[in-house]
Amino acid sequence: MNSKNTLGLSLSTAALALALGSALSLSVIPAAQAADDMEKCFGVAMKGKNDCAAGAGTSCAGTSKMDHQADAWKLVPKGTCEKTASTTSPTGFGQMAAFKAKS
Amino acid sequence: MSLQGEFTSALFDRSYTRLPEIFSSPSPASRFTIYRNNVFSSMLDALADSYPVVAQLVGEAFFNAMALTFVQAHPPRSRSLVDYGEDFAAFIETFTPAAGLPYLADVARLERLCVRAYHACDSQAVSLELLAELMAQPEELAELRLGLHPSLSILPSDYAVCSLWEAHQPGGDITKVDPCLPERALVLRCGLEVELLALDTGTCAFIQALQAGLPLGRAAHLEGHASSSFDLGQCLALLISKNVITQLLTEEKARP
Repeated sequence: MNSKNTLGLSLSTAALALALGSALSLSVIPAAQAADDMEKCFGVAMKGKNDCAAGAGTSCAGTSKMDHQADAWKLVPKGTCEKTASTTSPTGFGQMAAFKAKS
Repeated sequence: MSLQGEFTSALFDRSYTRLPEIFSSPSPASRFTIYRNNVFSSMLDALADSYPVVAQLVGEAFFNAMALTFVQAHPPRSRSLVDYGEDFAAFIETFTPAAGLPYLADVARLERLCVRAYHACDSQAVSLELLAELMAQPEELAELRLGLHPSLSILPSDYAVCSLWEAHQPGGDITKVDPCLPERALVLRCGLEVELLALDTGTCAFIQALQAGLPLGRAAHLEGHASSSFDLGQCLALLISKNVITQLLTEEKARP
């Protein structure tokens, strides 16, 4: 073993180790709603509130022109999409893929 | 002049009278005007899509007039419409009618960073296990360099850019914002989501030092002088939780 590992640690090394340790202990608590826990849900976003702010020339980014637009999606917590009411959906609820709005 | 060059000149110079020869009758002038109008209108839409908060801050009429002045002097240079208006912020700074809103250019810079973050490359974050292994050799921590996610950028501003931006998101409240309080914005993409955070001066200086390639020890030390309220643990926890740390470069690996 290297003697520096024990008593010879400089203060800044100890401070860095302490900071990293505390950072790691804070990080084991998973961040709420990681991307993996979300699903794309079509037909539930309100007008102009569909997800993905991707800038000009893209077909998403808050560009939906009507409430519950059938081909616009929003990220929602996994498992909730098909329980969310949608006025345009033939099933009455959000869907996992774009659908044809009922007339 | 090439046909294409001639066509472009005619598009952007409204006083250009000689129409390119590809136009045939009837009424080429009015048909060309329709084409030109469509080009301008699509570029105005592109700016409005990329700078929605700037548009809200000045209102539609002002924004359209400002954007039109910009479009006339800035034909697109990239094939991708997403890139259009990269220099809009620099233009706003020189646009005299907007001089009364000194924060407007920085808000535009922030919105551009958000678009860039959205389209930045993917990069896998270093696992918690690998970070925990670093604790086994604490004497190497000071020399450790961190590679950060390509979507990450920082905008230090003399104005309250983050608060202004947030006030123009759904549910935001502009009445509580003092635009003249300096803020430092951190922009990053975590998963598919672009996130915006206001940083304290210490955290901002620390992350900027990491971006500049300084090893952890020196970055933390620099920062120690800048701010007494800086919490290195909290700051590292933020970087870890947002999947920002994508590379660990130890002394040997850092050398070519």
